Amino acid sequence: MLSEWPPELTAALPDHLAGQRWYAGAEAPAPESVRVASSRRLWSGGDRHELWQALVLAGEDCYQLILGVRPAGEPAEFLHGHDTALVGVTDGVYVYDATWDSELAKVLLEVITGGEEKPERARPMTAEQSNTSLVYDERVILKVFRRLQPGRNPDVEVTTALAAAGFTHVAAPVVEWRDEQYDLAFGQQFLAGGTEGWALALTSLRDLYSNSDRSVPAEAGGDFGAEAGRLGLVTAEMHAAMHQVFGAAGADRARAGWEALLDGLPSRLERAAERTGRDLLHAAGPMLERMRAVTDPGPAFRVHGDYHLGQVMRTDMGWYVLDFEGEPARPVEQRLAPASPIKDVTGMLRSFHYASRYALVERAVAEWSHMIPTARAWESHNRQAFLDGYLGHPGIAHLLPDPAVSPAVMVAYELDKALYELEYELSFRPEWVAIPLDALERLVEGKDQTSD
Amino acid sequence: MNPAKNWFQSAVFYEVLVRGFYDGNGDGTGDLAGLTSKLDYLQWLGVDCLWLLPFYQSPLRDGGYDISDFWTILPEYGDLADAVELIEEAHKRGIRIIADLVMNHTSDQHPWFQESRLDRTNAKADWYVWHDDDQLYDEARIIFVDTEKSNWTFDSQRGQYYWHRFFSHQPDLNYDNPEVAETMIDVCRYWLDIGLDGFRLDAVPYLFEREGTNCENLPETHEYLRRLRKEVDSLYPGRVLLAEANQWPEDVVHYFGNDDECQMCFHFPVMPRMFMAVRREQRYPITEILARTPEIPPGCQWGIFLRNHDELTLEMVTDEERDYMWAEYAKDPRMKRNIGIGRRLAPLVDNDRRVAELLHALLFSFPGSPILYYGDEIAMGDNIYLGDRDGVRTPMQWSPDRNAGFSTADFAQLYLPPLMDPVYGYQAVNVEAQMRNPSSFLHWMKRMLEVRRQHPVFGKGTFEVLTLENPSVLAYVRTLEEPDRPAQEGGIVKTGPDIVLCVCNLSKLAQPAELPLQKWEGKVPIELMGRVPFPRIGELPYFITLAPYSFYWFELVDPPGGA
Repeated sequence: MLSEWPPELTAALPDHLAGQRWYAGAEAPAPESVRVASSRRLWSGGDRHELWQALVLAGEDCYQLILGVRPAGEPAEFLHGHDTALVGVTDGVYVYDATWDSELAKVLLEVITGGEEKPERARPMTAEQSNTSLVYDERVILKVFRRLQPGRNPDVEVTTALAAAGFTHVAAPVVEWRDEQYDLAFGQQFLAGGTEGWALALTSLRDLYSNSDRSVPAEAGGDFGAEAGRLGLVTAEMHAAMHQVFGAAGADRARAGWEALLDGLPSRLERAAERTGRDLLHAAGPMLERMRAVTDPGPAFRVHGDYHLGQVMRTDMGWYVLDFEGEPARPVEQRLAPASPIKDVTGMLRSFHYASRYALVERAVAEWSHMIPTARAWESHNRQAFLDGYLGHPGIAHLLPDPAVSPAVMVAYELDKALYELEYELSFRPEWVAIPLDALERLVEGKDQTSD
Repeated sequence: MNPAKNWFQSAVFYEVLVRGFYDGNGDGTGDLAGLTSKLDYLQWLGVDCLWLLPFYQSPLRDGGYDISDFWTILPEYGDLADAVELIEEAHKRGIRIIADLVMNHTSDQHPWFQESRLDRTNAKADWYVWHDDDQLYDEARIIFVDTEKSNWTFDSQRGQYYWHRFFSHQPDLNYDNPEVAETMIDVCRYWLDIGLDGFRLDAVPYLFEREGTNCENLPETHEYLRRLRKEVDSLYPGRVLLAEANQWPEDVVHYFGNDDECQMCFHFPVMPRMFMAVRREQRYPITEILARTPEIPPGCQWGIFLRNHDELTLEMVTDEERDYMWAEYAKDPRMKRNIGIGRRLAPLVDNDRRVAELLHALLFSFPGSPILYYGDEIAMGDNIYLGDRDGVRTPMQWSPDRNAGFSTADFAQLYLPPLMDPVYGYQAVNVEAQMRNPSSFLHWMKRMLEVRRQHPVFGKGTFEVLTLENPSVLAYVRTLEEPDRPAQEGGIVKTGPDIVLCVCNLSKLAQPAELPLQKWEGKVPIELMGRVPFPRIGELPYFITLAPYSFYWFELVDPPGGA
């Protein structure tokens, strides 16, 4: 149907890109112009449909489009409610995002596995932000990368390395699809029956918050403590495996990373203070002093980097860890930089705080004030359970800073994370600013994260 | 009666405490004749098979599990003629009967043991496991940790120690002695000749002992069960052996053998997991135990239950879960029994009918044959002050009349007092009142059993858990490719596979779910209780909302006129 990329479609691409959730920042304006760097037909179904791939340059960024082509006429049922999936109509055909087309989605897996996988069914995952994932026969999940980065994709790299090293809490790799420059897609075992840790934590919190007579999290029906403990243990196993696979950075590099982190804190605090009207920097003085006094921040190695409840999945086989891509808003070199495993630990602890507040915001404003102690109690209980599980791993101690400086390192990473969150929320979700701000205020005042 | 050889695969069992069911002769204790007179009720309810607790001669120091004569009925229950009549009358109503049989040990009052203990040379000297010291087999755990210090007890008469895995008044038979092995098969033959449809074999893992092992699940024990099964299959086809082996499913599965040992085994750990899932409002306690439940031979079946005459069995859960179950259900230390909790279903769920219905809906739709416990169909309560395990063995509550309609004896003569408290007492909870009330729990139960009977898929179908984002919702599909459907009189004759979708909300809060049903695209879900058709399954996830603790069973059918 299409012999080559129709140039008239290129003009439709800026609007198409801007309509996609995975396009640089959901609210970003459409790029002024784009260039099709390459396009190729992946598969042809004769007159009925075709599967195409196009790599599109928009400014600095390269995006991957997986496109379907069908004869013009009534658009198929799968496009109902997904108007933004349509790229355009040209020359007797319409061109659209093929990940919504279950027939072509099946073809995609077959093509990239060289015919080894012949799925019977495909469905798109709906919740995703920065990539597009397709589930095949509830058995294989294919993550199609959208915003391509030159070189190895960190998620593919880490997941395959951990799986090869015998770490069983990542979904087993099925297929890697790459060209000379980019990782294009990554197929893994689909974690059937799995639920995000975030959803599980909210289940626990909703149960707790709706109890009329009880506010002790450990005694509530939906207690999350045992899950948090098991998650802590899996996290320690992950760190032991990452340390084994990627090795530790030299002490100089570890110290340099630590110092870079510390150097950035005052200006970031100042910026946060300006934008929120809170005096964060002044209050943080003594705490920053304590951090400055830490000369040996402990081992640094490749860590998960963006570790939170949305990156872990509870399954019938226990907890699994997903998405080793680092924080999406940071530049790649920062994402891959060696860090203390404390970075991941505090990431998860911050996530417990987020969950406890998120579930609170779901409720009537009038309830908030008297429920905040309950929220704190849930956070505290699960922080402790997670840390008990984590520190209970026999091999974890030598990967951590000296216990004498551990609290300062922990606060530094927690502060780093909370500042990152604040910056993110100010940019994208101002209504959530109160959550990282609450954490920042507790942190700079040197309060225990779960006291009032 | 369902004539199929594998009738037990789709049967609903009903556990009866003869002593507590109905008193036919007015002496204050339930009996076989009393049970016979209540068979019409059980037929009305819709159960397929009764499981009787031991009815043999016994000093009753362990609820009849201490048998002192395998050939005789306990006189309080009646005589052999009563047993024959019960079996015949039950069979007339399409109901089968299996009975408990304790193979592992006898009462110390059994004449075999009395003879055996006399000296080391008598004819029965080697019928029990005797030893000069108490050090042999020291790797075997002690099961009744609350009461027993050792598996050996010294007998001063014979001057030796005898082996017992349970109470010290229950010496273990010595299966290495061929006479014992043969005699116990004679015992089985005797009761099968009288018409029993099978046995629930108590404590099977312990028949043999070998030094250097934990004396459980030994190859010799399996060998003996194969011998017993062969006997049953050749002389009594269609009778069933149900093994009690309270262990993890991957260990229990060996008792099915290659469908040449027991046809049924209890699935113990799924039961506390059901309670835990509802408490935690998430499906993982259930799905992870089902995921680690191995396949069983096609002719076999699990026996699953919510409650029975013993405590809520916690031997199988991890320490952490056991602590949790204790903290949750046993606020009163009296409720702790060995490693378990002695409560009936209704008090366990705070008498919340929604939860009781949900748990039964799970039980009736999980892989396995459900086993009900007498009285749970009317949501009877318990009396935790009665001591030992009697709290859940109080008289069946038939009516608001004297003695709960259970017996015409004087109140003081009753084997146990019926419940009389304002919530669970027989004035409030009884069969008569619930039969008159169409919205009662009893009628709900009867309706569920009717629906279940129409779908052999519940007994024999495959089981596939669906992946949902919402952890509080458990959804699964049961599929039977070639169902042997009950005969239809008139109406539409159905063909094709029997597919049932079950969706359960384990939460006290209303929940949504998006079900990945693409595999069944084009089919129409029909709700089984009311036969209401739901919208056709399309290409997109199937959206459904669930009230707190609610569930749906849908049959997935092709729409009229084809897809």
